[in-house]
Amino acid sequence: MLIQRVKAGDQKAFEAIFNHYVSRVYRQAFKLVGNEADAEDVVQEVFLLVYRKAKSFLGKSEFSTWLYRLTANAALTKLRQRKKEKEVSLDEYFPKFRKDGHHLVRPVVDWTQDIDKFVAIKEYSQIITEAMEQLSPTDKAVVMMSDMEEMSNPEISETLGISVQAVKARLHRARLSLRGRLTSHLGYSPT
Amino acid sequence: MAKKVQIRRVNPKKVDTCKQATALILDYLTGELDPKTARLFEEHLMVCPDCVSFLNSYKETIKFTRSLSYEDIPSEMKKRIRRFLRDNIR
Repeated sequence: MLIQRVKAGDQKAFEAIFNHYVSRVYRQAFKLVGNEADAEDVVQEVFLLVYRKAKSFLGKSEFSTWLYRLTANAALTKLRQRKKEKEVSLDEYFPKFRKDGHHLVRPVVDWTQDIDKFVAIKEYSQIITEAMEQLSPTDKAVVMMSDMEEMSNPEISETLGISVQAVKARLHRARLSLRGRLTSHLGYSPT
Repeated sequence: MAKKVQIRRVNPKKVDTCKQATALILDYLTGELDPKTARLFEEHLMVCPDCVSFLNSYKETIKFTRSLSYEDIPSEMKKRIRRFLRDNIR
């Protein structure tokens, strides 16, 4: 196994790991940090950690899982440093309800029927990407892992060190906010 | 002695309002609702076009998030990182 050889200081094995995983680590980092420069920093840090911490990898999980955890942590640290500057309330994009528990603004418009007529696919991507930027780092990571990486809730819980219940709550909140932004962008009430 | 089989009873959640239905969407989509709550959820959808619209747009949002695509690492960047690592791990 390559990582065992890295533990013994084998540079060629490290180079092989780098070549095999660098694209994957970059994409995972980019999804979280959202720009090339920060993604580059994350990739550098992750592979430095792989080399320096190889001995702490005990093989209890897959190497790719360990690598993913290193990437997520490095990207989240980067994101948290940045997020200290701006904190945006997501409440305005959440659904609102009347006292009797029914939707506040009715009818709720089903824009899924004819959205293609109004918005190009490229524009959706831009709206979703911008909306993702407004999520808290952990919420963003949860959405990314669940909806893009298709990880299970227990896997996300383990990677982020939060309970499964917290993963589900954050995922739902984040999706409601993303949905609200899309709806609002189309000119309808997000509630 | 025969072992007692314990049947865990799950109390179904109420789905009388749109607010209650909205709170169950995530578990409904992943099939994690108990069967009775899932049935109540679907019964609510049958009489509430607003919640049907809301559910459709929630699902569509997930579809959009899933469809986001990302570029591969630029080759120049890969070279820079390789150089950085070579300089820093010796």
